[in-house]
Amino acid sequence: MTRRRTSRLLALPLAFGLLAAACGGSDGDSDGGGDTTPVATEASGGEEPAEEPAEEPAENEDIAEAGTEAEGDVDTEAAEAISAVSYGGDIAVGLEAEAVGLRPWEDTCSSPCYNIIGTIYDKLMEKDSNGQLQPWLAESISSNEDFTSWTMTLRPGVTFHNGVELTAQTIADMFPVQQAGTVSAGVVAASGLVGVEATGDLEVTYTLGAANSAFPAYLERAALGMVFEPAAAVADPDSYSTAPIGTGPFVIDSRDLDNETKVVRNENYWNSDAEGNQLPYLDSIAFRPIPDEGTRLDAVLSGTVDAMQSLRQGTIRDARADGSLSLFEFQGNNVGGGMFNVLKAPFDDVRVRKGLTHLNSQPNVIEALGGTGISLPGSQWFSPDSVWYSEKVAAAWPKFDFEGGVALVSEYVNDPERSDGKAVGEKIDVELSCPPDPTLIAAMQVIEQVWSQTELVNVELTQFDQQTHINRAITDEHNAHCWRFSDDNDPATYTSAFAPPTAEIAAENGLDGIVSPVNFPNYFSAANFGAAAGAVATDDFDERFAAYESIMLDFAENVPLWYSGHTATMIAADPKLDGIVGWHLPQGGDLGIGQQAAEGRWLEVFITS
Amino acid sequence: MALMLFARLARLAATLFAVTLITFSMVSLLPGDPVDAILGQTERTPEIEEELRTELKLDEPFVQRYLNWLGDAVQGDLGESYINRGQTVTGEIKNRVPVTGQLALMAIMMAVAVAVPVGILGAYRQGKWQDTTTSAAAQVALSVPNFITGIFLIYVFSVRLGWLPASNWNRITNKGLVENLKTAIMPATALALTQMAIFSRLVRSDMIGTLQQDFILAARAKGLSNRFILFRHALRPSSLSLATIIGINFGALLGGTVVIETLFAVPGLGFRLINAINSRDILMIQGITVFVAAAYVIINALVDILYTFIDPRIRKS
Repeated sequence: MTRRRTSRLLALPLAFGLLAAACGGSDGDSDGGGDTTPVATEASGGEEPAEEPAEEPAENEDIAEAGTEAEGDVDTEAAEAISAVSYGGDIAVGLEAEAVGLRPWEDTCSSPCYNIIGTIYDKLMEKDSNGQLQPWLAESISSNEDFTSWTMTLRPGVTFHNGVELTAQTIADMFPVQQAGTVSAGVVAASGLVGVEATGDLEVTYTLGAANSAFPAYLERAALGMVFEPAAAVADPDSYSTAPIGTGPFVIDSRDLDNETKVVRNENYWNSDAEGNQLPYLDSIAFRPIPDEGTRLDAVLSGTVDAMQSLRQGTIRDARADGSLSLFEFQGNNVGGGMFNVLKAPFDDVRVRKGLTHLNSQPNVIEALGGTGISLPGSQWFSPDSVWYSEKVAAAWPKFDFEGGVALVSEYVNDPERSDGKAVGEKIDVELSCPPDPTLIAAMQVIEQVWSQTELVNVELTQFDQQTHINRAITDEHNAHCWRFSDDNDPATYTSAFAPPTAEIAAENGLDGIVSPVNFPNYFSAANFGAAAGAVATDDFDERFAAYESIMLDFAENVPLWYSGHTATMIAADPKLDGIVGWHLPQGGDLGIGQQAAEGRWLEVFITS
Repeated sequence: MALMLFARLARLAATLFAVTLITFSMVSLLPGDPVDAILGQTERTPEIEEELRTELKLDEPFVQRYLNWLGDAVQGDLGESYINRGQTVTGEIKNRVPVTGQLALMAIMMAVAVAVPVGILGAYRQGKWQDTTTSAAAQVALSVPNFITGIFLIYVFSVRLGWLPASNWNRITNKGLVENLKTAIMPATALALTQMAIFSRLVRSDMIGTLQQDFILAARAKGLSNRFILFRHALRPSSLSLATIIGINFGALLGGTVVIETLFAVPGLGFRLINAINSRDILMIQGITVFVAAAYVIINALVDILYTFIDPRIRKS
């Protein structure tokens, strides 16, 4: 059963969130090979790619065609396995961190965690290789006219690891747990979900409090999209963290926190490959958190583990240099950089923000971060591969321009009405803060040098541990602050980033009661908020694109934040492993998104002989 | 003896009380809100944050929170992790102590096994090439940070030779002693190197002093062999400082293996503690700190008792 087809991700949907763990989009086209399941989503809202997928490559083609990828892009295309699949075998995977817990509603989950829980739980929706949302445990989903009600039909014949059958009532019973969940409660509120009802044996109706054309995007992430067994979850929520019950391809075997989480094959898994062979292929997977990047890479090179993930450019560089591993790279919307606290002087003045951004040499910063040739410079919250990427925004973004930057800052410094209360001609004070990561410190020093060279800026570099760093942003103690923006979810999932940051600003704009704790730069534009709200009230892609483009253009004009480069991620594996980027939609349908944001899908991985 | 034990226990209780108060105060002063750490970057509303704060009793005054914790702690309940909800602090300590304890014990044993003969040799051959060589080696060992040693060991024994796993931990209960030792030997060696240097320097200097004592001269005059004099007569009185420093360092290793445990991804107390600090998992920090402090005091009390066996003069006095 040798399968080999190639596809290239062409367009991506979408989605972003502040400070998400590195995520990425890749480009390529779907080959649509295999038996495509007849369940194409009817979900609306931004799932259409901006352009049609490229021509389907020929079957058995070895190497993906280049073509539409952004210059310098290093994404690995989703591709069919190159070897005959085989059953059996145990592998170990090194993760950059431990999963806090294994409950989708209760425990925060980022890239390392998704590797684990993705084997235990199935999601209702998944992304195909074009980045479009497609049903997974669902068979179809559609909305009413105004996107306030979504009707989903579930796949029949699915059972949980404990033998309980998945029905519409299961999804309805999950909802109270999700409403009360530490993590999912906020997502429920953000999505506008107010009710879930079983309207048939396998038919579920989601009721929203307001229009949300991008609602299915929430069903593709853990908090609302991963299906758990609600009766068991309610009976013993604490035990569920270490002994979760899902419908996924693997069953939890053991969990030794900070050491190893082992999952074993689910013999009754509902999904099969294109030839009807039951999935998964592997007997077991042991996920091992190895926080040190160097040790994790050494662990793969020495055979201690068979694969690893990384969200660090330096590790990608080292793995490339070694040359002995299979590397699956991905670069999506998540973009590094920083933000100005616009509620504080002198960052309340756009001349300062824009001037300092003109004085940010992106290539040098990316070089300091170790990302040259790996990370693409950012100009917006979308990578050049994303369907939401705007050339207009890219052109509008303030580029490195020393004289231009000096002119703007100088204008502020010499303004008798300058907002920081200092005397005319006195330098502005800028505290530039990052977590104490060596590469971030190097990048900060690059920025500091240029800013200081202007003779207009006193730069103070500070470093705080990650939690303190985040807390300073939440409590508005920050000034110029390293940060990450966006991810590969639908932009609608991050509408609250554009909401008023304080009650006072909300009141001034007639938006009483709408206050967002996650608008970290504290920058508010009524037009942006209106555009974000409007974008979820329509499923017309062009309208939605225009809305998000207008927000990004406003950012380019008013510069509440600055960018370095998009975050590159990687899964590196022993070449004996295959099928890592070649997972399919159910029953061997279209290719899935691959290894976006180093979220490995281990369902179809096998060991080559 | 009973009076001494009582005094020790009283001192232990006072120390632990001070440690709990200081730790609780310091952790509470740390910037960063546990609620933010729990919610991460997920969507939230101010109401959700407040609910969580109330649920965790973070909205209560400091003194009340401390007294509540202390009341539970004296009954053996150190609370639950804020981050890994449902996970008890006591359970985590029970799970981690065997790992860190084994590492610390192996490191100390390896260090003593090497340091004692090296220290004796240095003292016996004072000023000769054996002494200068071992002294120089000790200086090097003291100068190299243990994580550098760890990286070197991984490169040589995992990447190049493929003899040992580069990371993680095989528990004896699951995979047997041999597999366990394969994961333990490199981190233990990395920890042991500095200890070896310290111990050997200490044994050397103490032995030099002892070898100048009258009773050593008397032993020599009796025609006893050098080996007999060194190991039978000189080593014992030279071991008091070594015993002290072993006790202190063993206690320190229980809470101080953070870097090595992180480098080798070993699920010990240090690894857990640093994760707890980074995520503002207050009760976990508090619980582990108290445990380490208690272990430290108890180990050093045991060392004090050990003195009486090493040197009968102390027992008699």
